[in-house]
Amino acid sequence: MSVVGAEHVPAARPMPVVTGWAVAARQLRGVKILFPFIVLVAIWWAIQAVGNFPDRVLVSPQRVFDTMVLLVSRGVIAEYVSTSLKIIGIATAISIVIGVPIGFAVGANRYAARSLEGFLRFLQGVSGIAWLPLIIIWFGFTHTTTLAVVIYTLIVPIIFNTMIGARAIPEHYGLALRSLGASRLRLITDVYLPGALPSIVVGLRLGMGYGWRALIAAEMLVRQGGLGDLIFGARTSGQIDRIIGGMIIIGTLYLLIDRLLVQPIENLTIARWGVLRK
Amino acid sequence: MSVQASPIATTSSTRRALDRLTWTIAPGVPFVIVLLIWIAATDILQPSKETLPPVSDVLWSIKELALSGQLATNVVASLYRLLLGSILGIITGLIGGVIVGLNRKLAESLNPIVVFFNAISGIVWLPLMITWLGIGTALAVFLIWNTVFFIVFQNAALGVQLVPEVYEQSVRALGGGRWHTMRTVILPGALPYILTGVRTGLGFGWRALIAAELVGAATGLGTMIFDAAEYHRSDIIVAGCLIIGVIAIAMDRWLLLPIERRTVRRWGLVADAEKER
Repeated sequence: MSVVGAEHVPAARPMPVVTGWAVAARQLRGVKILFPFIVLVAIWWAIQAVGNFPDRVLVSPQRVFDTMVLLVSRGVIAEYVSTSLKIIGIATAISIVIGVPIGFAVGANRYAARSLEGFLRFLQGVSGIAWLPLIIIWFGFTHTTTLAVVIYTLIVPIIFNTMIGARAIPEHYGLALRSLGASRLRLITDVYLPGALPSIVVGLRLGMGYGWRALIAAEMLVRQGGLGDLIFGARTSGQIDRIIGGMIIIGTLYLLIDRLLVQPIENLTIARWGVLRK
Repeated sequence: MSVQASPIATTSSTRRALDRLTWTIAPGVPFVIVLLIWIAATDILQPSKETLPPVSDVLWSIKELALSGQLATNVVASLYRLLLGSILGIITGLIGGVIVGLNRKLAESLNPIVVFFNAISGIVWLPLMITWLGIGTALAVFLIWNTVFFIVFQNAALGVQLVPEVYEQSVRALGGGRWHTMRTVILPGALPYILTGVRTGLGFGWRALIAAELVGAATGLGTMIFDAAEYHRSDIIVAGCLIIGVIAIAMDRWLLLPIERRTVRRWGLVADAEKER
């Protein structure tokens, strides 16, 4: 089991000697990530060139690029981005700190699991956005409103997946450790946490994806800055270049968060436990 | 697990009956607690009806909405969009996910683009799609498809990847063909993940729909809530949210749970875990 995991990450291992080959291999990796996007932009360019659409329907990649350069150089983007990032960061931290312990507490007891499962599904069914009009009445058109919506969205998948992870651990693992005299703390650190970690990370990844989306949606309606405000504001004035540029920034930012934060955690958990197919 | 949690540990029949009762009423407990807090809050704090409508107001507005036929119109409009978008999302997501899950190289090369479009799936398309598709059903269906697809896709791919290769190899070594392996090993093995994906996908598709309807539709539950907000009718907002939640639970209970039971439990994956506890 662990052998498979150990073999899994040769690409990520630091090369002892940086030869010409290693550099070439690394560049090849970069191209591999960019390649699908290059194809996509080419298709977009072709459609735009052939269809000859008016500016308020579709603009060329070049136009979008120019607009983005302009917005970045003026510092407009930095302001919208920092607003969004701050909210998602705070929301994620709060959701993990509260959500994971609840997930374990609920997952460890079948009565608690049964009683909270339906409630969580109910909360999941009523999207944070549906509560937005009411939350706006409470907190006004402010960042607090957006934050409340994002936490609501993020915390449910985290609790839910922690619970599933805790319940999926075969009970005899815990019993085996206990019969050997392990304490409750040892059980948590050696059985429950590692056993549930892949599932928690799945929850975090899902939660981030949807929390990010709830953030954008809330920003569209609250209109107090942030990337959702950027693209929704551009719609009213028919600026397709701003909309597409904003979407690219939203996607890229999420990609960076996913690659630099969530993915390394996933590699440490799922790959280490050796369950992933090569 | 612990002694109190295990009904088998005690021989007393009253204790067993009590356990069974707790087990039956457990799902209702959080709802009752929230309801009590709500009643207490409106009673003690006496907030304005706009800030927190009393329970009676919300019940009354549910009755009003139901009698006027407004509720039925909006629910049907929302469900129709959800059905259309989800079916498209599940079919495309399942096919894509299984193909990608079976092919590690393909999964690696597609991953950047999947992550990218996952990050902007759903509501992020709203401004662009309002321009392209206009306000209405096509817009909502697109947003739901977009949301459901990525969840089903990622779960199906993960499920297929997590099937131990040993199983596949043994069936192959005994002479199982590609299709046979797929049908007897890969798909059953990945099924719990696929169903989790469908179940989660529908839950999230439902919320994507509500978000889309807030600005991108003329009917539907989201529109109903948003219209109510303009007149500061918090009772209708809360009523709408409750109805949205009830429909989500009903779908889960009567549609998705039975499917999960019939498939996953048959393979002994969930049933065993529950028997043990």
